Amino acid sequence: MIGNDIIDLQLAGQESRWQRKGFLNKLFTVQEREMILQAAVPETMVWLLWSCKEAVYKIVNRRTLTRFYAPQQFVCLTLEYNNATAAGTCWYEGQRHSFISHLTENSIHTIAVKYDSFFEHLTVYTEETAFAGIQKSQDGIPYLLSSSFSTIPVSISHHGRYYAQVSLGK
Amino acid sequence: MDKETLIAQLKEIIKPYAKNEEALANIDENTDFINDLKINSANLVDVILDVEEKFNIVIDNESMERMLNVKSAIEIIEAKLAQG
Repeated sequence: MIGNDIIDLQLAGQESRWQRKGFLNKLFTVQEREMILQAAVPETMVWLLWSCKEAVYKIVNRRTLTRFYAPQQFVCLTLEYNNATAAGTCWYEGQRHSFISHLTENSIHTIAVKYDSFFEHLTVYTEETAFAGIQKSQDGIPYLLSSSFSTIPVSISHHGRYYAQVSLGK
Repeated sequence: MDKETLIAQLKEIIKPYAKNEEALANIDENTDFINDLKINSANLVDVILDVEEKFNIVIDNESMERMLNVKSAIEIIEAKLAQG
């Protein structure tokens, strides 16, 4: 029901050549490509949209327990965007998800939720090192170990210098 | 083209993106691009584009959806090559 994705922009710049032929066409819808090409900094828009797709994919993956690579099926509509934050919706198979992204000079962190009210009940942890006490199910879905042997669903993301973790509940 | 040759060619393509060198050295049909080779999901598209260039084929969105491991990649490449 929640998913998050963090991107180290410096590493992304080293790892990907987003301008290579075919790159944008395979990953983004026609409208998203328009948003990228019209953005003040196209590269930032590439990674902003990509982080949204990844965050929503994590929600869908947790629900369906199926892995797949179909970035175009996640359709982002960025409604508001300024230098530090972005917010909008990302759709998958007719289902609406909301996202909020925080942008810095070096990173983009996007959190997506199935229900908007979740935004008020999130525990967000961003650090340079991974959090202890994470375990993954057979299907690769991460859970946070808590006391009394219960587990809490958690979304984790790790890229370059950054680690982020989001769970429901305070 | 036999399977061994295909895997060897795939290995060359994957090399720049794989972060787990040991898994790359031991690559076989059961190797998973993300879980085993630790390829970044944003780089999976580079693997797909490189495969298209190398084999002169087009990988449609439906095939791309399954491009998560060596086995699927080989099936897709073989099917596309057979189509001519």
